[in-house]
Amino acid sequence: MLKVLLKKQFTEVFKSYFYDAKKNKMRSKGAIIGWFFFFAVIMVGMLGGIFTSLSMSMCGGLTQAGMDWLYFLLQGGIALFLGVFGSVFNTYSGLYLSKDNDLLLSMPIPVRLIMIARLLNVYLMGAMYSAVVLIPALIVYWGTAGATVRNVLCGLLLLLIVTVGVLILSCLLGWVVAKISLKLKNKSYFTVILSLAFFGGYYFVYFKANELIQHLLQNAEMYGEKIKGTAYALYLFGRIGEGSLPCAALFFAVTAILFVLTWLVLSRSFLRIATASVGAGKKRYAEKRVRAKSPYRALLGKEFKRLTSSANYMLNCGLGVLLIPASGVLLLAKGRLFCDVIGQALDGRPDCAPVLICAALCMLSSMNDMAAPSVSLEGRNLWIVQSLPVDPKTALRAKASVQLILTCLPMLFAAVCGAVILPASAAVKALVCVMPLTFAAFFAVFGTVIGVRMPLLNWTNEIVPIKQSGAVMLAMFGGWAFCVVFAGLYLLVGYRFGAAAYLLVWSVLYLAAGGILLRRLDREGSRTFAQLS
Amino acid sequence: MLNIEHLTKRYGDKKAVDDLSLHIRPGEIFGFIGHNGAGKTTTLKSAVGILQFDEGSISVCGVSVKDDPLTCKRSLAYIPDNPDLYDFMSGIKYLHFVADVFGIRASERAEKIRKYADLFEMTGSLGDPISAYSHGMKQKLSVIAAWLHDPKLIVMDEPFVGLDPKASHLLKEMMREHCDKGGAIFFSTHVLEVAEKLCDKVAIIKQGKLVKVGTMEEVRGDDSLEEVFLELEAK
Repeated sequence: MLKVLLKKQFTEVFKSYFYDAKKNKMRSKGAIIGWFFFFAVIMVGMLGGIFTSLSMSMCGGLTQAGMDWLYFLLQGGIALFLGVFGSVFNTYSGLYLSKDNDLLLSMPIPVRLIMIARLLNVYLMGAMYSAVVLIPALIVYWGTAGATVRNVLCGLLLLLIVTVGVLILSCLLGWVVAKISLKLKNKSYFTVILSLAFFGGYYFVYFKANELIQHLLQNAEMYGEKIKGTAYALYLFGRIGEGSLPCAALFFAVTAILFVLTWLVLSRSFLRIATASVGAGKKRYAEKRVRAKSPYRALLGKEFKRLTSSANYMLNCGLGVLLIPASGVLLLAKGRLFCDVIGQALDGRPDCAPVLICAALCMLSSMNDMAAPSVSLEGRNLWIVQSLPVDPKTALRAKASVQLILTCLPMLFAAVCGAVILPASAAVKALVCVMPLTFAAFFAVFGTVIGVRMPLLNWTNEIVPIKQSGAVMLAMFGGWAFCVVFAGLYLLVGYRFGAAAYLLVWSVLYLAAGGILLRRLDREGSRTFAQLS
Repeated sequence: MLNIEHLTKRYGDKKAVDDLSLHIRPGEIFGFIGHNGAGKTTTLKSAVGILQFDEGSISVCGVSVKDDPLTCKRSLAYIPDNPDLYDFMSGIKYLHFVADVFGIRASERAEKIRKYADLFEMTGSLGDPISAYSHGMKQKLSVIAAWLHDPKLIVMDEPFVGLDPKASHLLKEMMREHCDKGGAIFFSTHVLEVAEKLCDKVAIIKQGKLVKVGTMEEVRGDDSLEEVFLELEAK
């Protein structure tokens, strides 16, 4: 029974390697081999290579100083962090939100077997990320310090302890998320905030890690003594890799106890969480007075609701909403320094700072590309707008307007911040405010035009149109290309005309292009939209 | 009310609907019967302006669906076979969305929502997200949304699927009442007993072609509708 469940589980995990969601058909044998090869290159070649070189840079110095345990403590910490980060997002959905909950629970399958199959899945996901760190670390250590039966055995035990530790932490985090999620009304906002916090933490650690490790290596003895004095358990943990059998036995026992406790917690709540109706936040309906809206405003409201109801949509297509005002604050704080650095670096080219600030703001505004997948996201709901007395033009303009509003408002703030800090003429300051707005307007219409020209309506998971559709790719890379061309042309020739003239020309160009595209959207776009099926 | 003349719709080389003509007059409940894949949904979707067709013409209240789709859509309502509604909205938000699009005044819509939601025992669930609705509840919500703007023509694709017996009975009464007031209903069904009891006229379609049309008595003769249908299918 467990074998059957595991087979199903892994077919599901590696579904995208066998099945093309965009084309809705199975991949060819060549494509399947290609995808697995790509996966192996990424995991073993790239990630494995990175961590092998990290291990080589750390291992020699620490083993010579007799601090092998610190080497394993650091590597174990990194493996734990990467494993938890790699699997935590899948744990909640993988454990509790599987689409086959009802199907499996209706069959004569013991609940514990369903749990075991899903836990094994979580374990392997986490182990994959941890192993990418620990296996090179162990091999490098055995190569440097010499491999004995004892340290090989303890190294393997360390791998087991860390990977089970990752499983325990992932399960507990998944369980907490499940508990919170059951009580939350606005799950999408919660997911967005949690994801941003996690990504923020990840990048903070990622950028600081090298510096921290270098600092630690340079002061290894001092930190070693401190750890031994204040966190003796960490010292013992590090000694497992050295080949200390008592330490390995101790941590193995602790991990086993923690795992049993985790199992007990999960098994007590598994059925209740897995069978809770997702999104069934019962709300007693009370009639309220409402104001009638125009069809356009009704459609606009619908588009906003569509965006804010999906964490995937917000995270992948709306990050600019946060990043644009954040860049405004950054400009206020560090803008003058940026202008000075740019002025010195590009001495021969005057007024580069205003143009580069505009380019950066445009680049950030291209991170708001919610208009591009908007038509595709209608999916099976397309019949509603098509059967209602709504001009397709109005429906498409509502889609473009969401992006326009959500980009132009923060952009105005950021552009004004840019204008404030710039040591430039009034005309340049005014154009720094105007030019990114014209780009944002153009880009909103551009996204809608390609969205309606490249629709992807037969999806089963919304992530396909949001992340993998041609329209989104084109919008994103197109946006970046526009910005690169804009900045590059100035550095090549534009500086000869001065920033004011250059920004004015681009503002007019974007306005004109936006106008032409809007006309195209109203005519051909509307016709195409009406004929979609 | 609804005139379909020589409708032809192709999917690639395959003719899904082939030279089909139907006329639905005010006051009529018109049933549309056929096996799976016969072309019923394609005809219904073409009639409401969702699908573009290759040949023929369709008019609603004398207005061509091809030339002036918006005017046609203002006078009709459509309920699809699978009520895929906006899962991200609550039931009440969806009804207000439809009412806004049809330009129904706030006081008028409140009264209608109250009336139909009470009838279908949906009032308590209107604040819940549609994602939490069962198939039957979504179907009920589609029916309420369709009746909100007093359409002249209501086009329904398998409207009774998923509805509980009480809701089915209620819908049949509403259909009769709508036609008694001068409206018209064009609907597809596989439940021949329902069609037999409810419809004034019936059309049978087979492989995209109309094989029989007329009043219930004309189509049925001395047999049951089931016998007629099975006989036509066997030919």
